[in-house]
Amino acid sequence: MPIQLTSQAYCKMVLHAAKYPHCAVNGLLVAEKTKEKKKDSHGEPVLCVDCVPLFHGTLALAPMLEVALTLIDTWCKENSYVIAGYYQANERTKDSRPNQVAEKVAARISENFSDAAIVMLDNSRLTMSCFEPIVLIYDHHENKWKSREVTFDCFEDWSEAQKITSALLEGRSYENLIDFDNHLDDLRNDWTNPVINKSVLDLC
Amino acid sequence: MASVSEMYDVGWEEMRDKLRKWREDNCRNSEQIVDVGEELISEHASKLGDDIWIIYEQVMIAALDCSRDDLALTCLQELRKQFPDSHRVKRLSGMRLEALERYDEANKHYDAILQDDPTNTVTRKRKISILKAQGKGTEAIRELNEYLEQFVGDQEAWHELSELYINEHDYGKAAFCLEELMMTNPHNHLYCEQYAEVKYTQGGLENLELSRKYFAQALRLNNRNMRALFGLYMSASHIAASPKVSAKVKKDNMKYAAWAATQINRAYKVSHRTIVISPQTSMRALLERV
Repeated sequence: MPIQLTSQAYCKMVLHAAKYPHCAVNGLLVAEKTKEKKKDSHGEPVLCVDCVPLFHGTLALAPMLEVALTLIDTWCKENSYVIAGYYQANERTKDSRPNQVAEKVAARISENFSDAAIVMLDNSRLTMSCFEPIVLIYDHHENKWKSREVTFDCFEDWSEAQKITSALLEGRSYENLIDFDNHLDDLRNDWTNPVINKSVLDLC
Repeated sequence: MASVSEMYDVGWEEMRDKLRKWREDNCRNSEQIVDVGEELISEHASKLGDDIWIIYEQVMIAALDCSRDDLALTCLQELRKQFPDSHRVKRLSGMRLEALERYDEANKHYDAILQDDPTNTVTRKRKISILKAQGKGTEAIRELNEYLEQFVGDQEAWHELSELYINEHDYGKAAFCLEELMMTNPHNHLYCEQYAEVKYTQGGLENLELSRKYFAQALRLNNRNMRALFGLYMSASHIAASPKVSAKVKKDNMKYAAWAATQINRAYKVSHRTIVISPQTSMRALLERV
């Protein structure tokens, strides 16, 4: 099942990357939990409604990742979400391939959600105007992660996502984006990002 | 667009002091430095006295971070005029070439400096940064190791090396670098906590026990380090859950984990503002995993 991104999910990923241009960043994508498994639900896209920015800088250490996965999983259960994917933007501009960290986390997510996807951000195409989507989507096929073609169908509404992301980048909203690292620095920092979510809603 | 002084109602002295604080703390808030520094330079240059040169340097580097080559060049040219034969300014020229991805030219600049002054450590580290930028992780590691054989006390370099090793998933060597840092900085809770994280990631019972000890040590040094607190909880829980430990070890670690859980709950209660999750639920979830 291919994933689809809402404007909120897409723009928060891009804002996270923009906030830490000199670091690798990563996070989780969440989708709404469907009540029943429809018989012919294969081929229907999984809509990732939101994302939770996790870390910036060193991504390859285990303990805080485990804490984050557990806390976010609990939050998901309370909000009828499920962790459906993982995103990452690498440290170097020209490097947009999923690495061992990405594959490990995605494998973990796949234990609970069989169609987990990896979304990589292509740093080299990150611009203020966001005139094209800068994501690369990878699905797990036959023990390998293969990239799929990214079309506007990968978005719930690309022109809305483009408009909102561009506006928030111009307005430097990324300065207020909270990731899990920020939360660990100060527990009052809310990684659900209600402020940014409201800005997104206001622009819809 | 409103100027910084208008938006934040600050005078030039406050702007200059802010820049100084950011220099001292080695902050990489490049967009802010560019905003404040550009205005300071263009409107108040005459009032800054000799401070202006170090400000030009600071703003130039921040401008490179923000792809503001126009501003970077302006600052660089002022510095070149004032200090025509300076190695420090030549290194800044090299950094500009790095930002423009003209790595071969940058390396030529740096090699010229090192011919003249082989102990110029900052320049040697720039060459290593180029390797990192080019994705040559293993070469960067090799060069940095060679550098550290000569300059054993360079803490920034040890830390950079630990990060390079972590990115290559060589946790054993990363731990070694952090051990060096802990030896020379026994009161630094961050090094303790990072060491504990690396040990935890390495895995295995012995490493988990070591990681728990160092998370605890980090907490002793700074009882508000949340990563250390969470780490203590996680490592103790994993040890308690291991089938290889004795009943006593299991009991002890469950005690440590329970203590950590209480502290975590308390920390959330104290800072609880608009957090969506209830700390009790999430703690239960963590506890149930064990």
